[in-house]
Amino acid sequence: MSAQLETTQVFPSFEQVYQGLAGQIGMLRQMAPEPTKSEERRLAGAINTLVEETNADEAVWLESCIHCGQCTTACHFFQATGEAKYAPMRKMDLYRRVYRREVSPLRWLFKLATRPVKLKDFEEAQELIYDSCSECGRCTMVCPMGIDTASLVHHMRSAMVAAELVPPELSALRMEQKNAGTVFGSSPETLKKMIDTIRTHYGVEIPLDLREAEVMVLSSAVDLVANGNGLLATARIMNHIGVDWTICSDGFESANFGLLSGDMSLWRMQADPIVAAAQRIGAKTLVIAECGHAYPALRWNPMLRSGALPFEMMYMSEFLGRQAKAGKLRLRPLEGKVTYHDPCKTGRRGGAFDEPRAVLKALGADFVELPANKEYNWCCGGGAGIFLLEDATRLRDESFKIKIREVNETGAEAVVVSCASCRLNFEAGRQKNHWDKRVDSLVELVADHLIDGPTPISGKKAADAEGAVA
Amino acid sequence: MTLLEFARGPAIHASLIILVAGSMIRLVGVLALTRGADLSRPRDVFGNFKGYRTVFSRAWPSDEFTIVTRYQTAMAYVFHIATLLVVVAIVPHIEFITSLTGLSWPGLPNWIGVALGTIALVSLIALIMRRLSKPEVYNSTVGDYVTWIIVALPLITGLMAFAHVGLRYETMLALHILSSALLFAYFPFSKLMHAFWFLFSRAQSGVAYAHKGVRI
Amino acid sequence: MATQPTLGEVLQSQGVSRRAFMKFCSATASLMALPAGMGAAMAETLASAKRPSVIWLSFQECTGCTEALTRSHAPTIEGLIFDFVSLDYHHTLQAASGDAAEHAREQAQHDHAGEYLVLVDGSIPLMEHCSTIAGISNVQMLKEACADAAAVINIGTCSAYGGLPMAKPNPTNAVAVGDIITDKPIVNIPGCPPMPLAITGVIAHYLTMGGMPELDHLGRPQAFFGENIHDRCYRRPFYDRGQFAETFDDEGARKGWCLYKLGCKAPTTYNACAHLKWNNGVSFPIQSGHGCLGCSEPNFWDALAVYDSPAKGQFGDGAKLGAATVAGAALGAGAAVLARRKKTRIAEEEESAS
Repeated sequence: MSAQLETTQVFPSFEQVYQGLAGQIGMLRQMAPEPTKSEERRLAGAINTLVEETNADEAVWLESCIHCGQCTTACHFFQATGEAKYAPMRKMDLYRRVYRREVSPLRWLFKLATRPVKLKDFEEAQELIYDSCSECGRCTMVCPMGIDTASLVHHMRSAMVAAELVPPELSALRMEQKNAGTVFGSSPETLKKMIDTIRTHYGVEIPLDLREAEVMVLSSAVDLVANGNGLLATARIMNHIGVDWTICSDGFESANFGLLSGDMSLWRMQADPIVAAAQRIGAKTLVIAECGHAYPALRWNPMLRSGALPFEMMYMSEFLGRQAKAGKLRLRPLEGKVTYHDPCKTGRRGGAFDEPRAVLKALGADFVELPANKEYNWCCGGGAGIFLLEDATRLRDESFKIKIREVNETGAEAVVVSCASCRLNFEAGRQKNHWDKRVDSLVELVADHLIDGPTPISGKKAADAEGAVA
Repeated sequence: MTLLEFARGPAIHASLIILVAGSMIRLVGVLALTRGADLSRPRDVFGNFKGYRTVFSRAWPSDEFTIVTRYQTAMAYVFHIATLLVVVAIVPHIEFITSLTGLSWPGLPNWIGVALGTIALVSLIALIMRRLSKPEVYNSTVGDYVTWIIVALPLITGLMAFAHVGLRYETMLALHILSSALLFAYFPFSKLMHAFWFLFSRAQSGVAYAHKGVRI
Repeated sequence: MATQPTLGEVLQSQGVSRRAFMKFCSATASLMALPAGMGAAMAETLASAKRPSVIWLSFQECTGCTEALTRSHAPTIEGLIFDFVSLDYHHTLQAASGDAAEHAREQAQHDHAGEYLVLVDGSIPLMEHCSTIAGISNVQMLKEACADAAAVINIGTCSAYGGLPMAKPNPTNAVAVGDIITDKPIVNIPGCPPMPLAITGVIAHYLTMGGMPELDHLGRPQAFFGENIHDRCYRRPFYDRGQFAETFDDEGARKGWCLYKLGCKAPTTYNACAHLKWNNGVSFPIQSGHGCLGCSEPNFWDALAVYDSPAKGQFGDGAKLGAATVAGAALGAGAAVLARRKKTRIAEEEESAS
């Protein structure tokens, strides 16, 4: 337990992490760039983007909606507010208008019968496309037509990028990542400093920029600039398992504001160096840090032919689950009753259901499922960048009450999450509602319950040592 | 030319031409668009094929949503089944289909036809009542109401003609055929096309999610 | 002009008992939905009525209507209607011929101007040379005869609605009486042939009430043409139960099931066949195993294909639907190809812009 005491001394508690980040997020609004292009070009850009991104799948989904309203029963934002405009089907209305006039086989007819789309329409859609849709995909689960509204909203986000209508917070982070290559200022230097800090204060070694390694691990801005415990926990586990791992300073950032804002080119620009680094070091496995959207950004990146890559990409919870199943984790039992929140991006829209549960099983946890779990899990309300948006505060707070109700129903003392964004949102909700539940990160929970404690030796040596034990 | 001659001659003929041509334009025009490719490695090698089961599995809401959607599910099922039976199983309709395709099969007795038509109409009214009473849930457009009326008209006129009430039979029959013609002609330009789209829409989502190892 | 005997006297001389006459009158009155007690009043009026002068014009016809009236069965009061009226002109029945016959017509027109009835069977060809009588075209004779008539009664579908002569391709350009005569009261008693009782009923009504009975939108007496044959058909229960004859010699046909699928037009036909029946109440077409042709309806021959049920669509050349499918698919494919090109063009523009 000494390690834990030390932790609280050097790194802030997650409560403080949240409060610190909240301050930083507040400043993002001022950093947001103003639109640079003319209104005509912004509108044309938005429409062209939608035309370009509309394939048969999108067209079918847009054609299929019958306004049956069932999606409203699935959407946390609608359920929390009961306001008509947040009905998921509404979120594709503008896309459909553009589609009908530009792509639909009856477009000549619709051009005669419908009003042209204006930039103002896109401005009005901003709230629907960003603030009130976390692209969680829960509405797809109830839709009788099975419409994938989330992916349609994502195309709308691409159009919003072209229309320069990305909300200020996401816009600021997008521009930062695009121009400086950093998120919240987390540069390779920040990474090195953090690795030094961890080595100095905890004696935990993090192999940086090894020429070759079996496992390449990503970090994330939240870990590097605020929550050092995240990276520390990752390092402890890696060393505990004894794998040959490394972090590459030219490809360590999980966060992808290309994906979140809808900027496909930034998405690719951010993902490509990571893939290149993993190939260079001959990695077999790429572990994506607990940063929900990084999973679809890399593992499910539709632009990346990942089947042809020599390495496998997996989320932290997947990696931990496989290690747990393989018996590589020796863990102290976890006290108390816990439940698990499937982040939308790794759960319903990622498919990593079994592994985190295997980890909790390995922890010997008194594990109880949420009433709506796995594919049907309610979004926490902070996904797809919404946690960062000041304008979405009310929506986030209201919809989180659903989550509180769900967790309370289980009678668990703690809810385990495996996504920094979910965790921040849970923490915000916990503090605002004086909620008596604990919010734990899966990776930190595992690190805290490792039997051997921190290993003050290098990863390579640890691998040898552990190899002998195993 | 009487109304009935017009209805069962040029009107229904023209409406069927619009129906098939319009449906083909819309179906082919959409399905022949570019295919987006998800290049990422699927979770299971053959997993994507499992996605096609969504076409069938989505025929019934999952347990999670059974209770919240029960009213609509029940009414929609009653409406669709009753309407389908009325369309294919009462003798005058079979006669019409025979005149179109040459195929023929035994029909249901009239009282069942009237009962089914009434059930279909009642469930359709039940659905519109809910749409009207919960505007925030439905975000109804003019098209939703127009579609409802265009679907309800053949049911109402058909029931009246079939039961020999209201105007003279030949007039009711003509109105029934004309309202059906309106339905046929309106079909390709409306949300009624979901009769085709549901297959593709469900399959696409099923496959997209199955790609990631998620069963929806 | 000699004093004509009253109807009562004529009937007595024909050996019709007062009892039989009363029966006819009350039956007719009740058929025509006249108020109770009208039967007796009708008998009284008819018995003392003067026989009205009637000019019967036969144009493009087959004499079936006359046959139906005169030869349907043993002499009855319906047949004796010819004794109720002074039939001053009728090709088939009158003794006179040639100029004498035409003269009789002219005489009647002159003597009873404004009082006589014109009964017409057969349609009138607008191609006037197609049908002439004594060198007078049908159109001309109709106009002449109707000029001073009190009313016109069309006997049969041909004079009422054009009937068979007007059916496609209508080589004589035949029309109905109503298309030519527009300034006289006209009663249509359609049917091919019409029901004899409907003819006598209308004349009896005219004689007793001094006017024409209530008519429907097609100019037919409501009393005889107000009801749908299908609604009155004794085979209706089979229709309701869904039991149909599929062919004319199958089990259903033998069991007397509904003939709807064999093209019976009863659902769209209004006539009294199903309850009054023919040949002294013996039968009517459906009872004898053939579907109703709808002969009392305008345009019946062309409008409703004889062996097609009313629900069957009349598509003519069904190939148009196939062509529409192909054309629709081609248009859809074209739209998709253009949409694809549009995408490519936008992508190229963005490429060159960046």
